[in-house]
Amino acid sequence: MSTPAHPFASRPTAGRKFENATFWFFRVATYIILLAGLAVFGDIILKGSSTVFGAFKSTEHFPYVTNTFLSEAPETLYVFEDGGVKREMGDTEYRAYRESRIASALAAGEPAPQFKSESYVYSAGGIWPCIVGTVLLVVGSMAIALTLGVASAIFLSEYAKDGAFVRFVRLAILNLAGVPSIVFGLFGFGMFVIFFDWNVSLLAGWFTLAFMVLPVVITASEEALKAVPQGFREGSLALGATKWQTIRSNVLPYALPGILTSSILGIARVAGETAPIMFTAAYVVRDKLPWDVEKVSDFFFQGVMALPYHIYVVSSKIPQNEYTSRVQYGTAFVFLGIVALIALASILLRNNLRGRYKW
Amino acid sequence: MPSDVQPVSPDAVPAKPFAVRKARTRFFGLTFDECIRVFFGGNAFVAVIVLALITFFLFREGSAFFGQNRESLRVYRQAGLEYIDIIRQQEADHTALTRYLFAIRMKVVATLREERGAVIQADLEAAKNAVQQLAGAEGGATSTTLVSARARLAEAQKADAALGASINGELAVFDTFAERYSDTVLPVRGLVSDLGEIATGIKSRYIENEDYKVARSQFIQAGKQGEADAIQLREIDFKTEVAAITGILPAYQQINGEFTAALQETVRELPVLPVASLQPRLDRFKVLTQDYVAMFPGIEARLKAWDPLTPVTWSKSFSSFIFGREWLTASFWQDWYGVVPLFVGSLVISLIALIIAVPLGVCAAIYINQVAGPREQKLVKPAIEFISAIPSVVLGFFGIAVLGQTLRALSQFESLSWIPGFPYSERLNALTAGVLLALIAVPTIFTLAEDAINNVPRAFKEASFALGASRLQTIVRIVVPAALSGIVSAVLLGLGRVMGETMVVLLCAGNRIAIPDFTAGLAVAVQPVHTMTGIIAQEMGEVARGGIHYRALFVVGLVLFFIALLLNYLAQKIVRKYRISVG
Repeated sequence: MSTPAHPFASRPTAGRKFENATFWFFRVATYIILLAGLAVFGDIILKGSSTVFGAFKSTEHFPYVTNTFLSEAPETLYVFEDGGVKREMGDTEYRAYRESRIASALAAGEPAPQFKSESYVYSAGGIWPCIVGTVLLVVGSMAIALTLGVASAIFLSEYAKDGAFVRFVRLAILNLAGVPSIVFGLFGFGMFVIFFDWNVSLLAGWFTLAFMVLPVVITASEEALKAVPQGFREGSLALGATKWQTIRSNVLPYALPGILTSSILGIARVAGETAPIMFTAAYVVRDKLPWDVEKVSDFFFQGVMALPYHIYVVSSKIPQNEYTSRVQYGTAFVFLGIVALIALASILLRNNLRGRYKW
Repeated sequence: MPSDVQPVSPDAVPAKPFAVRKARTRFFGLTFDECIRVFFGGNAFVAVIVLALITFFLFREGSAFFGQNRESLRVYRQAGLEYIDIIRQQEADHTALTRYLFAIRMKVVATLREERGAVIQADLEAAKNAVQQLAGAEGGATSTTLVSARARLAEAQKADAALGASINGELAVFDTFAERYSDTVLPVRGLVSDLGEIATGIKSRYIENEDYKVARSQFIQAGKQGEADAIQLREIDFKTEVAAITGILPAYQQINGEFTAALQETVRELPVLPVASLQPRLDRFKVLTQDYVAMFPGIEARLKAWDPLTPVTWSKSFSSFIFGREWLTASFWQDWYGVVPLFVGSLVISLIALIIAVPLGVCAAIYINQVAGPREQKLVKPAIEFISAIPSVVLGFFGIAVLGQTLRALSQFESLSWIPGFPYSERLNALTAGVLLALIAVPTIFTLAEDAINNVPRAFKEASFALGASRLQTIVRIVVPAALSGIVSAVLLGLGRVMGETMVVLLCAGNRIAIPDFTAGLAVAVQPVHTMTGIIAQEMGEVARGGIHYRALFVVGLVLFFIALLLNYLAQKIVRKYRISVG
């Protein structure tokens, strides 16, 4: 019989063993979740990073280096055999190459070479227009959502007294948070695209996305406002400041970091959603970049390419093979990277902030 | 300053101006502060407005659906398509019976092969493997061994073919029986296809005429009377047109009589199966056939009673959407907009997701809040929240590119074949989508459940410990029951999240619009399905604005919207009703 290390150490009874086993079961469940998340991240980072980091090229002018995947527009990929060598080229390159080959063959008096090529849409070039489109969508919709959301939160936290109106508003916010994103898409399509006749445009996408994140922003902002101690307000009011002066000088400055950090979570949501922009703002392909417009007002009424929609298109509309998987994984990697960075920043900043403000 | 309003004080000392003067600029009778208040209040009201607008626009675009659907059903009836579908149903039932026969045959062949061909099968497999190995290791194997292995393979194949032939020979009687049986329906089938052409003719002429009418009214609106008059309208008189279809009733009755006789004649003497244990199935088949024949008078009666001019009621239009078992668009015959297959698809996927996500999410919440140390807590909590940031389209892509194949490969392992539905061949199905959706639901369930557990007062736990309960007992008996309302509402909100998710199901669910076959038991999980969210995302871009299909998609959106509201309401209600009071 072994003796315990010290007299107060607990003996491994059956009950304790069972308890430990159960806790291990819980622990395994927790780590299964983390592993699943890690598997998704790992797969996309492993297979996607080579596309992005393999696309660096040196250029002749400043900054002497460029990343073709990040800076070019999508192109059709041509795969063909020429002179026994298998080549892969983007659309423009392929045409130039073919013409030069034919011309050289004609000059040498040989018959023009035949090119048998397989083509894969969107599989060459890069995703620059999609990145631009996503950034535009995020910036515009967050501007709208922050304006509306912060103002709502100020009302709910500073002005509102519990009454029918406020309860009604809170109920609406709560319910709005549960509405599926595709329903927002339908709503945006019915209201902005058709009823307001804005067509598929940035503006329609902005408002649709803004309304979608509104509950997130309001809840986050209200939490930040509530965290400002009541004494700050009372002190200001006691000195004779009006309500607005109090809010402006004694509440908002202290709540602002919190509002902004928590709203970053809203940015992650806006950037990540596909369904609401499918019919309101996203184009499958567009040659022009957004600032390439004739009138300023055209800027707002143009559709854009967006990263999430591009992922949807390249993963569902073109076949899966070695030539297409590069652009699929590359796009997913860039997109996941952007969204993950935003979310990470939000979570870290929030944890940091919780520790820093102690009144 | 003298004024008639202000009474002048008797001493006439001028009043001192206030040290602090409040400039009360008023807009619409409101002070500056009140204006700001109204501004903020107005912004808060935006949430209400948006919710109202969503409802309004979904209704605005969707509500006309029921009228259009009613019209479509009216044409379906008046052009005689409905009439033909009654007969067609009869034909379809016969096809189902034939399929039953075929299933019996498959079973027989499988049993016989198992009984007699086990050795041959093993030989064949071994020879195949040997050839493959030798051919794979080209350099290592001498050509003579390869040749001999090939010869053995050929021999085994020959034996296999001989076995197949002998089984087929034994089934010859059964095959003639099956053929005779399936041929009995031919006259009915011929009749249906003849009638179908007439009916679709009527329908297409009617639709063409309606299009002309629209064009005409557009010309008249544009003031082009001449062009409008040039369009000749040919009104369809359904009554006379349909008479050509209903007129076949006597012929149908005759055909039906022959059909009945032929069926009964065929099943009078059943063939004897080479596998005795399957004979009861054949007897069952006879009973089924007799039941089938017994339905015929009912069909005839329905045909006789059928009247093309019975009006289609609104409730019919409504119920054909809510209870409609078919979602069929762009069909030459008749488009059906029944939400049931989509709803069931959404439900199946959500259930799979919840079955995976609830145990994981709740266990993780208990672990992190009650068991884990502070450092583990600090690391794991943000990590799980971080998972919720993975965009759903990326998860969908992961499903297409990796998870679909992985799960299918997993299902093909011999040792896992006891799991219902395994092995399967469809890469994209409800299971793939459900597993990914579980990953979406887990962070929601985890965060909310963890919150709920965290809100259980410390005193509860302390009291439990003081009474000598162990940690596990405290957790299971005290903490979790106290937080149960929060956990349940977390699960409901997770369900809402999963039901409303679009991209994952669009990419990974397989997108087959049919009610999954529940007779397969749990194997229903590996069938491809389509969902409500998926159908909107998939078809919205391709439909004509204002058409019935377009409106139907909006009504599906409306259904989704109300499901989301309902789940939200339930979650709040549960939290409020069962909230523990600390007192």
